[in-house]
Amino acid sequence: MKSKYMFGVIIIAVFMGIMGYLFTQTSISYEENFSIVKTSTKTIKATGSWVKEKNYIIDKDKRQFSFFAVDYLGNEMKVIYNGTIPNNFESATSVVVTGKYQDGSFHADDILTKCPSKYEETFEASSKS
Amino acid sequence: MLGNVLLTIGLLGGLFSVVMYFLTYKGYTNTLGKARIGFHIASSMTVIASLVLVWSILTHQYQHLYIFKYSGSGLSTGLLFSTFWGGQEGSFLLWTFFTAIIGIILLDYTSKRGDLEPRVMMVFGLSLSFLLFLVSPLLKSPFNYIWLTDTFIDIKLINQQFLSLPFIEQFFFSDDQTNTNFIKMGSELYGHLVANGISINEFIIDGKGLNPLLQNFWMQIHPPILFIGFAMSAVPFAFAIAALLKNDYKEWVRQSFPWMLAGTMVLGLAIMLGGYWAYGVLGWGGYWGWDPVENSSLIPWIVGVAAIHTLIIQRKTQSKNSDGRFVKTNLILSMLVYVLVLYSTFLTRSGVLGDSSVHSFAEPGMLVYLLLVVFMVTFLLIGAIGFVVRWKTLSIEFEQDESVLSKELALFTGAVTLLAAAIIVIAGTSAPIFGNAVEIRFYNELNLPIAIIIGLLNGLSLILKWKANKGKDVLQKLLIPVVVTLLLSAVIIFAGKVFSVMLILLTFSAVFTAVVNFEITYKIVRKRPSFIGGYVAHLGIALFMLGVIATGNFSEETMVDLEKGKSKNVLGYDLTFVDFNPIENGSKYSFNVEVATADKNSKSIVSPVMFVSPFDGSLMRNPDIWTMFTKDYYITPVSYSDGTKENTSEGEKVTLNKGESKEYKGNKITFNKFNFPKDAMNSMMGGGSFEIGIELTVNAYGKTYNVEPKIKGKDKQQEYIPVEINELDLKINVEKLDAAGSVNLVLSSLTKQTEKIAAAPKEVLTIEASVKPFINLIWLGVIVVVVGFMISIFRRLRDT
Repeated sequence: MKSKYMFGVIIIAVFMGIMGYLFTQTSISYEENFSIVKTSTKTIKATGSWVKEKNYIIDKDKRQFSFFAVDYLGNEMKVIYNGTIPNNFESATSVVVTGKYQDGSFHADDILTKCPSKYEETFEASSKS
Repeated sequence: MLGNVLLTIGLLGGLFSVVMYFLTYKGYTNTLGKARIGFHIASSMTVIASLVLVWSILTHQYQHLYIFKYSGSGLSTGLLFSTFWGGQEGSFLLWTFFTAIIGIILLDYTSKRGDLEPRVMMVFGLSLSFLLFLVSPLLKSPFNYIWLTDTFIDIKLINQQFLSLPFIEQFFFSDDQTNTNFIKMGSELYGHLVANGISINEFIIDGKGLNPLLQNFWMQIHPPILFIGFAMSAVPFAFAIAALLKNDYKEWVRQSFPWMLAGTMVLGLAIMLGGYWAYGVLGWGGYWGWDPVENSSLIPWIVGVAAIHTLIIQRKTQSKNSDGRFVKTNLILSMLVYVLVLYSTFLTRSGVLGDSSVHSFAEPGMLVYLLLVVFMVTFLLIGAIGFVVRWKTLSIEFEQDESVLSKELALFTGAVTLLAAAIIVIAGTSAPIFGNAVEIRFYNELNLPIAIIIGLLNGLSLILKWKANKGKDVLQKLLIPVVVTLLLSAVIIFAGKVFSVMLILLTFSAVFTAVVNFEITYKIVRKRPSFIGGYVAHLGIALFMLGVIATGNFSEETMVDLEKGKSKNVLGYDLTFVDFNPIENGSKYSFNVEVATADKNSKSIVSPVMFVSPFDGSLMRNPDIWTMFTKDYYITPVSYSDGTKENTSEGEKVTLNKGESKEYKGNKITFNKFNFPKDAMNSMMGGGSFEIGIELTVNAYGKTYNVEPKIKGKDKQQEYIPVEINELDLKINVEKLDAAGSVNLVLSSLTKQTEKIAAAPKEVLTIEASVKPFINLIWLGVIVVVVGFMISIFRRLRDT
């Protein structure tokens, strides 16, 4: 009986160990300040918004979609995404891009556009104040 | 008003019924009838309130904030129905609605089975009451009036004839950024309107409409089925508590089992319907993205599947004087399913996933956040306390022969492995609570070995007999399935060029499950057809796994330009952009692309759709698929250009004063000074040749470029010499300069200009094409699993 429990405990410990290790390896932190994003070499989820004045570019040859994002402090950075422009991009109020900052631009693996429903709330909030 | 009254009465009825059921459980004899009446009031009020909401939506009662926010007059009837659950309040009501319906069925079921009713219905009634409290007028009622909170309404949605009324002006707001005008709707304006005899329904003529992502068939069926699954998950919880209350752990397993099966089946189906929605309509390109919201309903499903397997062991090991094995495990898992459903609701509705999920719901406010936590913790505590109180009975160890080679142990190990998968998904999904997130590979890398183990264990457990097995017998029985599996796997591995070790193992594991289950199904289907459910479900899982291997690793995709009428070979198929035509009254455009095999024997028209959504003005792109037997050809539209409008922008004109900087496409351009040689002045005056430079500094990406575009004058003719910075894709030309110290520059992109020369007017459709081999196995697998579940439910219902 004892050995059965020991076996179970070891299995669980090994499993938790592997999971914990991979968790730290794949963990991504959020960052809203682009100046920090630009100095980090890790994969980051950066939150900002699209600079509409600077049009986005779809590069068909490279299969790249790129645009300029700005954070709440006004820091701008170029975001390059290998893939198609996401639905709702034009009307999204904020975008969350996941990737790394390299060679002067942010290379995103994923772009998440925020629902405009949220925008309504913020507009209401700002109007009230 | 009516809806809120109904919901409030329902809540009171629910609470009354819980108390009455409790008294009945305590031994009172005259309270059972009252408890039933209370429950029927709660459930019928919920049903009527839901009908009232449907009616209000269909008749466009925009005085209700919820209907104004999520519905609109231009929607088809089917879509109007789906606005019922388009927002948070309505989806809570939908959940309450199904809980009420399930409750009525459960009441009937339990009332026919001894003294089960008061104990089960007491707990289930509590769950219904919690939901009714959530949709009560104080919290998230969809019936609350629009003027109770300040709401900004676009004037387009307001009846124009009232805009000239004198009092309107003070409620007028405009947003310069988006150039839209709003009317602030609140109690004050409502007062004015009432005083003038104008009803809100006349005043507001349209709702905001439904998010275009939700405007499709799948929106009409995925959420209802998901909420049926959520509602059903409360049943095994109630049965487990009922067992703890009675301190009798024998009967509940049999009685609860068909509910557990049905709930798990419905939840699983709902999850995969969501997956198909994401794949076929939303254009995510795949059926599963490990999105936290998808994950949050997957977690209780996995635990439910684990529970099914340990419940089977308890059933099989029960005898006259034994409750069977894994009593504690079964109680915990049955209760955990519901607690995890509540946790899932908390994750998706409380706003904690805000930045990490595509499904981001707006934050519901602190009150609802707290209530969701209280809801979850209450049910967790009920379970935990019941468990502790009964620990004396529960901790009795039953005598049993332990054998390493037994079906029990194999099933139990399988359940534990499933729980490990659940823990992985919980860990990754909960990370946003701590301001973190994990990469997709966290899930993939950890779940891959788990899938392999589960497939192997599944095949093995079915070969093993209950209790003990002789090693020799097992090997003998394994021989044929293993040989067949090896042969089939080898064919798949070489034909499909599967050369990664883990994938080879997964292929073997999936094929092994398929072979064993197929063999057993084939053997027993004629003699005992009602027993095949489990085997059929496993066969479905095996097909699903094979589908995952094929699509996960052999999908190809690329982005191409298709010129109208010209065919182009893309991923082995000849694609021709035929034409496009307006659909749905011209609100959308369907782009027809002919996809043909290289030999032209087989072809199909694939018509992805693009449109600008009137809801929020964004461009929506819906994919279309040519589903073939062995693969899907998947086309997502990217952009369309008719060749005339292209590159009209000549660049941006900016005026800079000396020392001033301007930003252009990420480049910071500073005008330092004029380079104005002394003799240039004289030369200029005298009409001779001269040269003036404009010294600029361009800062971009940490680099500094010093450039000097020039103006050359000769014989009263002026010539501008631009500068080009290739690295920055930037061209700077001078348009005009002012001696007072300012300069007008024209900034443009280099590539756009070259493109402009090359682009002759032609119609070009840009698409993203991909080939998804054997994705049909995934959907087929899901269907087979559901059929298997149904057969099992049918059988298990008969032995309650």
